[in-house]
Formats: sequence, structure tokens, C-alpha cells
Amino acid sequence: MVQPKTVLITGAGGYWGMRLAARLASVPDLHVIGLDTTAPREGVKGLDFVQTDVRNPLLADFLREEKVEAVCHLAFVESNRRSEANFDLNVMGAMKVFGACTAAGVSKIVCRSSTAIYGAHPDNPAFLSEERVPAAKSHTGSVRDWMEIEAFCNGFRSQWPDITLSILRFPSIIGPAADTPMTRFLRSKLTPTLMGFDPLMQLIHEADVVEALWHSLCQDAPGVFNVAAEGVLPLSRLMALGGKPIAAPVFHLAAYWGNPVLGAVGMPVGRVWPIELDYLRYPWVGDLCKMREDLDFTPAYSAVSALREFTARRRLAHYTSDGGKSAQDEELLRDTIERRRRSRQRAVSLDAQGGLEQGEEDLI
Amino acid sequence: MSSNDSRPRCAALTKAGQPCKNDALADAPFCRVHEGVAANAASPAGAEPSPEVLRQELSLELDNLIARVENASSDYRPPPFSPQALLGLLNQNLRRLSPEAAQDLLHRLRGYVNSDLLDLDTWKGIWYIINYALQQQTDTVKRRFSGEYETDDWGMDPEFLSIIQPFLTFMYRRYWRIETSGIENIPADGPALLTPNHSGQLPWDGAMVGTAVYLEHPEQRLVRSLYASWFPTLPFLSSIFVKAGQTLASVENGTRLLEENQLVAVYPEGIKGVGKLYKDRYRLARFGRGGFVRMALRAQAPIIPVSVVGAEETYMSLYKSETIARLIGFPFFPITPTWPLLGLFGFIPVPSKWYIDFGEPIPMAQYGPEAANNLVLVSQLTDQVRNIVQQMIHDRLAQRRSVLFG
Repeated sequence: MVQPKTVLITGAGGYWGMRLAARLASVPDLHVIGLDTTAPREGVKGLDFVQTDVRNPLLADFLREEKVEAVCHLAFVESNRRSEANFDLNVMGAMKVFGACTAAGVSKIVCRSSTAIYGAHPDNPAFLSEERVPAAKSHTGSVRDWMEIEAFCNGFRSQWPDITLSILRFPSIIGPAADTPMTRFLRSKLTPTLMGFDPLMQLIHEADVVEALWHSLCQDAPGVFNVAAEGVLPLSRLMALGGKPIAAPVFHLAAYWGNPVLGAVGMPVGRVWPIELDYLRYPWVGDLCKMREDLDFTPAYSAVSALREFTARRRLAHYTSDGGKSAQDEELLRDTIERRRRSRQRAVSLDAQGGLEQGEEDLI
Repeated sequence: MSSNDSRPRCAALTKAGQPCKNDALADAPFCRVHEGVAANAASPAGAEPSPEVLRQELSLELDNLIARVENASSDYRPPPFSPQALLGLLNQNLRRLSPEAAQDLLHRLRGYVNSDLLDLDTWKGIWYIINYALQQQTDTVKRRFSGEYETDDWGMDPEFLSIIQPFLTFMYRRYWRIETSGIENIPADGPALLTPNHSGQLPWDGAMVGTAVYLEHPEQRLVRSLYASWFPTLPFLSSIFVKAGQTLASVENGTRLLEENQLVAVYPEGIKGVGKLYKDRYRLARFGRGGFVRMALRAQAPIIPVSVVGAEETYMSLYKSETIARLIGFPFFPITPTWPLLGLFGFIPVPSKWYIDFGEPIPMAQYGPEAANNLVLVSQLTDQVRNIVQQMIHDRLAQRRSVLFG
């Protein structure tokens, strides 16, 4: 394990960028630069935030100037609708970031993807290996964009063998704070499923997503990896553990034929079915041998324990009036106090040195 | 004679409850036979021991016996008490007793039943048993609703299996009266690949091969059957198959299961075998593309040829309608004398007599795992296994006199 000295996180204003930046703040001897068009919603201590678009043509100069060693590319907008703007950011953005990395001599790139790109098919083997050609019948924006990025990465890897490019394919992400298709599915009032279908599913806890990204930033493990929690669960058991023992089963043909009709009359199909129909019908379980052996990563949560925690936190939210917000607020304020104290100390010490330079007063 | 009259009779009762006819000993009120009993009795006067005393003695003796059993095997827990179990036990042991003794025993038991109905404790016991059964049922439902049960990585659900087991056992023992041979060819542990012939429009034969191994094999091994990729598209059936521990037929899945030391069943004929017409019965279709041989070679697992005779007659497919099949997306659509004419009644299978024969294992060890890429060897082994299964079917058919009675 070789820890890089300077890490750039693209998409630091988004949820995953913010979480990773917050995680890396506790790592000693690490300079973390965050890049995004908008600042993180919650201030992250120790993050060197730069406000710019990842598609900026001067990115390569910036990387070279800052001596960035590793890039974690998380600038990706998830959506279940086709959108040209999202495609431009997701796919073209990734190409531009990767291009800048080659020009600036960055040695390590980590990128997030999804096991959904294998597609949910009736003839899927029980465990999909990383070599399997992605074959999602993607209607949704994100899955299509991930497939495009991965196709581009295949060529990139042979062109630039010096750069260690790791792609982590995550299954459905679950956790008390994350907003993902799976958490939306489990939080929805009526959880519609397809009658008589009980596909096997994998999960990963949001904290393990962050941990896996950081782990692979330090690991010399090029290639594609399925990264998921221990345990494969049938959907029915997953829902029971997730606090939704009773589903609203819909006859599958009615769902397949009805959705276009609903869409045509302006109903938000994506809100009724947070997870696409095929993914509630057929299995799409990744093989984890490569994660265990080559990536040498073990998620902290098993699928069952992640679900138990999710359910416990959701039940607790009924009793705390603000749904656990106050605890979060307290955490934030503690960070702010800490940050202000440190910058004041720095200013004092600079004054003591001669007081010629005015310390960067990044008071908020 | 006179001496007999002068001596008093024995004061004890015989086992049958009659007064003892023997003469008492000179120095005791009992005869030679009952001397010991009297010595143990708590009443020194030698009068008939009170029922209370007898009961105490009995319970003491039983306690001693229980202690001895516990000493001999400390981890044995007796099965929970139930009237059925007691009757079963009696049934098994009654013929070991002499007719008189058996009759006596039964009469006594009957006496207890009548008097116990008036006893409050009996009703307490019944209430307790009903309560216990209800509690267990609700606990199961609760557990299912909270997801606190086990499934393995392939989706196999042991609780679900135990629910459907009685039905499968009924079909196996009573409906098709299946006779199994060669079960000893299945190893007690380690991988093996079963290759039965496939027949009968619906995959009943798959369920019965699994049931046969579960019921007849000393280790009660679970057979992991591989099913065609059409089944995952069907509602209910797809999830039932997965819960029963089966999985999609692919070389990856089969190899992985064998490497996990599982017992795998693959039906190399596939859909072609199930959808056979009645006139083609017991004529094996092509054995796939040799995928099953490749799994066995890769995992170095022996192939065990299996023949199922009787399943071909469960549904008599007279004709296959391509048009209807294509319309509803089925791989084939059989027309039988009862289906689709009688609707759902057409699903009732013919209660033919079945035979399942497990053949000698064909070892793969001499070839090595890299032989899986040797196309010539793979096709040779495929033909070899097919010929063996066909031969086993012919052997069995030659012995069979009747479809319904075997």
C-alpha cells in the first residue's frame, strides 16, 4: 500500500465527492483537493476546494502545478432519464479528466461504476465475473453513461499502460444518509415489486463505498472490480430486513406495458419504480473473487448488517423530531469551531514570526 | 390338604390384580413369589401397598432409568411428547408382546383415556400443546416478515425446502411409488454431476431425482439442479426454483457449484427432452453441446449417469403447436388428451410407476482440468454418457411389465 501525497477529487460538491473528502480529512500527510462547480453543501474540514468545471481545458496545467498523484473521478450526475447535459458532463467530462491526467503525469485514476451495466438478464450466471461484456439494455441515463465510460476506459488502458486505472463497480448502495435508487425503493410508501419474481441482489453500505474508493487509491490494482458486501439476498428477504416486509406486487406484463402509458400521460415512472423493472426481475450479482484477491478489500458491513442499520436509523427517525438532523448540525458546528480555532492559531503564529504575511483567513 | 388349610394364603395381589392363590410362608404373610415385593413395600404390616406408594416407587425407578440414559449419552434430547408419537411407539412394540399382555396393556390405556378426560390436567396439557403449536407458527411468520432467516449465496432457503418436502415425499412414495437403485454410487461428500434423461413436459423428474437422493441417501444430500434459461422469465416458478437451491444451467454455474463440493444435476437433453412427443418416448435427444462434460472436467468431478423410467408417461404429448408456443413465448406447447381440453385438470400427471437408477460414476480425474478445451474428448465423453443412459433406460424397460404398476 503506497499512500499518495496529493489527491484530487472531481465532483467534490456532490454527495460521494463530499463523503470521500470528509473521509480523507482524517488521513495524515495527505493533501486533498476538491474540484467542482459548486462547493460542498456541508463544509469539509481540510479540503482544498477549487471551484471550476472538470471540463476546463486548463485542468492539465492545474494538475501539473499541484503535483497531483492520484485522481478519484466522481463528477457524475445520476439520473434515470436520458439527458444530453448529463451525458456531456458524465462521459465527455470523464474523457477530458483522463486526458488531463495523461498530460500531467498522474499515476493513478479511480473511477466509480455500477454492476447494473451487466444488465439484468434471464441467462445471467449466478455470479457475473468482471470479464463479462456489459450488456445492459440501458434506457436510464446513468447506466448508459457508465457503459460509455467503461468502453472508453478499455481503450485507454491499452493506450496508457503506465497509468493505474481502477474502476469499481458497485451494486445497489444503501445507508442512512445516501439517496440512491435502492434507498428510494425501500423508503417509498408502496414498494412495488413484480409478482412472482424474487431476484437475488447484492448491496453495499455507503461507508464501504467511500472506504473502497480510498483503498483503491492506495492500491496498485489496475482493472475492473465488482465491490459488494458479503451476502447475496433474495429481494423478499432484503425488503423484510429493510423494514418493508409487505410489497405491492404488480403483474409483470402489466408493469412492462403500463409504464409507457403512465409516462405518456405525464406520470413520473421513475418515482414509482426507482429501480428499473428488469433489475427487479432477473439476477445481476457480481462475482467478488477479484475484489478479495486482487484488490484485497473487505467491506466492513455485510449485506444483512447494512440493512439492519438502515432500518434501525429509519425507525429512529420517527422519534427524533428532525430525523437526526440535530446530531448532524452539532457535528457541523464542532467542525467549524475547530477550523476557526486552527486558522486563528495559524494567524497568531504568523504574526509572531514577523507579521509581514497576512495568514489566509479562510474564516467562514 | 389339612396342612394347606391351616396355613394362611398369601396376602399379595398378582400382576393381574387377583388375590394370590399360593400359601404364605411360615414366618411371613406372603408366599415365596411375593416375598421380595413385600419386603420393598413401605407398609410393614404387609397389607396391599397404597397406590400413592406404588406411584412414588414407579417415579423413583423412572428417575433412575433417566439418570442412566443421561449417563450413557449426555447430549441426547428426547423428541417432544405428542400423542401420535406415543401411539406410533406402541404400534411398533405391540407385536413383541404376547397377545394377552398386549390386550391387557391396551385395556389399561383405554381406561386412562376415559378417566383422563375428566381430569383438569389433561385439558391443561391439551391447551399447552395447542398453545405451543400456535406460538411456533406465529414465530415462523414473524421471522419471515423480519427477514431473520437464512439463505445461501445461490438463494437456497432451507425453511422453504422443509415446507415443500412433505408434498414431494408424497409424490415420490405414494403417487409414483418410485423405486430407486444404485444410490450407493453417489458419494457421501465431494462433488458429482448427475446426468439424468429428461422427459414429461413438466420438470417433475428433476424434483423426483432430488427427492430420491434426499430420501434414500444416508447423507440426505441436496441436489442442485440446473434449469433452462426459459424458467427465470416465468413468475413464481423462477423464485420457487431458486429457493429450492437450483440455478440456471450454464458452464460457469455448474463448475462453481461442483468446486463448492455440491451434488449437481444437469439434464443434457434440455428443453428438447422435456417436450418429447409420446411416440418418441425413451429415445434420448441430443445431449446438448457437451457443456456438462466441460463442467465435470474443469471441476474434476465424476459424472453419474441416471435413468428415469416412468416420467415419459406422466403427460402424453400427442402434438406440439408451434404457433401457440410462439404466440405466448413458450419454448413448446404440448397438446395432450387432457391439456388444454380440460384446463387446469390437464396438469394432473398420470400416476405411472417410476424407476430411478443411478449408474456407476465415470471418473474425470485421468483427463485433467485442461481437457475441458479438448473438443474431441468432450464430444467423445458426451456420446459415452448418452449411450450409458440410453442403455440403462433399455435395461429397465425390458424388465417393466406395466406402465402403471411396474
